Amino acid sequence: MNNNDIVIETRGLTKSFGSVIALNQLSIQIRRGEFVAFMGASGSGKTTLMNILTCLDTISAGQVLIDGQDLADLDEEGRRALRATKIGLVFQQFHLIPYLSALENVMLAQHYHSVTDEAAARKILTDIGLGHRLRHLPSALSGGEQQRVCIARALVNEPPLLFADEPTGNLDEENEKIVLGLLQELHGQGRTIIMVTHNPDLGAYADRIIRLHHGRVVE
Amino acid sequence: MAGADRQMFWLLVRRALRMKLARILVVFAALTVGAAIVCAMAAVYFDINAKMSRELRTFGANFYVGPGDSGGLLDEDTFNRLVAEAPPGLVSAATPYLYGTVRTELQKVVLAGVNFEGLRPLSAYWQVDGDWISVNFDDRNAMLGVKLAAQLETGVGREIILTRDTERKKLRVKGIVEAGDTTDSLLIVNLPVAQEWLRLPGKISHALLRVDNGQGQAEVWAKQLRQEYPELDIKPIRRVSAAEGQVLEKIKGLMGLVALVILVLSTLCVNTTLTAIVNERATEFALQKALGARHSGIVLQIVAETALTASAAMVSGGALGFVLAQILGQAVFASSIEFRAPVLPLTVVLSLLVALIAVILPIRRAVQMEPARILKGE
Repeated sequence: MNNNDIVIETRGLTKSFGSVIALNQLSIQIRRGEFVAFMGASGSGKTTLMNILTCLDTISAGQVLIDGQDLADLDEEGRRALRATKIGLVFQQFHLIPYLSALENVMLAQHYHSVTDEAAARKILTDIGLGHRLRHLPSALSGGEQQRVCIARALVNEPPLLFADEPTGNLDEENEKIVLGLLQELHGQGRTIIMVTHNPDLGAYADRIIRLHHGRVVE
Repeated sequence: MAGADRQMFWLLVRRALRMKLARILVVFAALTVGAAIVCAMAAVYFDINAKMSRELRTFGANFYVGPGDSGGLLDEDTFNRLVAEAPPGLVSAATPYLYGTVRTELQKVVLAGVNFEGLRPLSAYWQVDGDWISVNFDDRNAMLGVKLAAQLETGVGREIILTRDTERKKLRVKGIVEAGDTTDSLLIVNLPVAQEWLRLPGKISHALLRVDNGQGQAEVWAKQLRQEYPELDIKPIRRVSAAEGQVLEKIKGLMGLVALVILVLSTLCVNTTLTAIVNERATEFALQKALGARHSGIVLQIVAETALTASAAMVSGGALGFVLAQILGQAVFASSIEFRAPVLPLTVVLSLLVALIAVILPIRRAVQMEPARILKGE
């Protein structure tokens, strides 16, 4: 495997909360363009791993490289910048700002990345089928539509990495299919997608499953 | 910040204020009350010297000039020069007194010669039946103490006749005075009449003055005069002038305390409400951090929201404070309160200080939020 193909690498990654070890000597590699699912039961460490890889949390020991950048070399501002430029986040609870419209929610990600670009935000929402919902507040959107706004917000800055934490956890079956179809489409366009889920049916959509158990990779 | 991003920043601020309108109104109300009280108290505080001095003047003279240890009389000219050389505005009223015993057709009485124009403002507390003698040169009328009037069985409009050897002088009683002191037994005439009838031209027994003592000027002036006129007995009448200063200080202290208590309560109220707002918006701030917001961006957002609310509160509080000050002025001093120069800056500074202190802990809380935990719903 060419080193340039590795977009995420952890070496002996350990994360502990007091005496509790959440991640134990974890070493994984994820290639550029791969669709990977982190799977495991509650408490297996999958969310902790995602928080570390998205620079929302720090490690206790080991090494983490994101797109060749060692996270240990970054201070808080460096982690913030890396998060803003290289990472797109999709949440189970969508986390849209309730007083901003769909379009403004997407533009918020641009605002914290660099500068807002309404045309680009409008295009991405239209591309995922929400062109008619641009000015709607989240409260006026269905769960599936809110999740699609969340995905548009994650993609608008064109980050190389897209992290999705239980992206269909709050959706009905029909919307689940739409969102998973969208993720597959993005994967087909060459995007690296890391999805956290406990649902084996969702895991089946990924190229590869990294199964965690008590903070270790089990297969 | 670029134009589009400034637009997004203010969009966030504006919409957040609208979304939390009920709580923002609580913050606004608390800051308005604080600003109003500070504004009103400061307006009264800075205007009170003039107001209190005016009020306390009705209690009489606060400065005495009399002959020294040698006793006797002093020259009217000396008194006139002393008053004329006083710093401008220091002496607001003064009258010389010349006492002597004279005969009337019925009995001997004590005569007091005064300067009526100076006496009246010093004796605003007198109860006068009839009229005051309003000019110094009135040599036909007299005022009579209430007790003496009873002894002489006379009243307003009747005549009193002074006798001296074969001379007689008619005086019409223009007013009957009830002062509650020895004045009630005096026959009061103008100074020239007394000097002429007592055969003491150019002489006075002593003089009483009212001297502005808002900052203890009476004592300073007395010291200065004692050096210039060592032969005279010159002193502030401490009972009144000291009380004036003490009352002023106590009222000022009380107003400061009231304002401080209101400001502290206002700060606590604003702090509690802003903390509640930040807690309710925890997910929002966590999301912004997850999207790449800097701490400074979050701080700026909360500060901008608070500053906008505080600015609106300062305007309404200032207006409310102005009205409150006028109500206080009318209720306590029966006059309007002038807005002195320091009132507005003081209101602005203290209101901003309240908002600033109140927002520190909520900002700290927002900055310390861990997005990973909050976004996961922990």
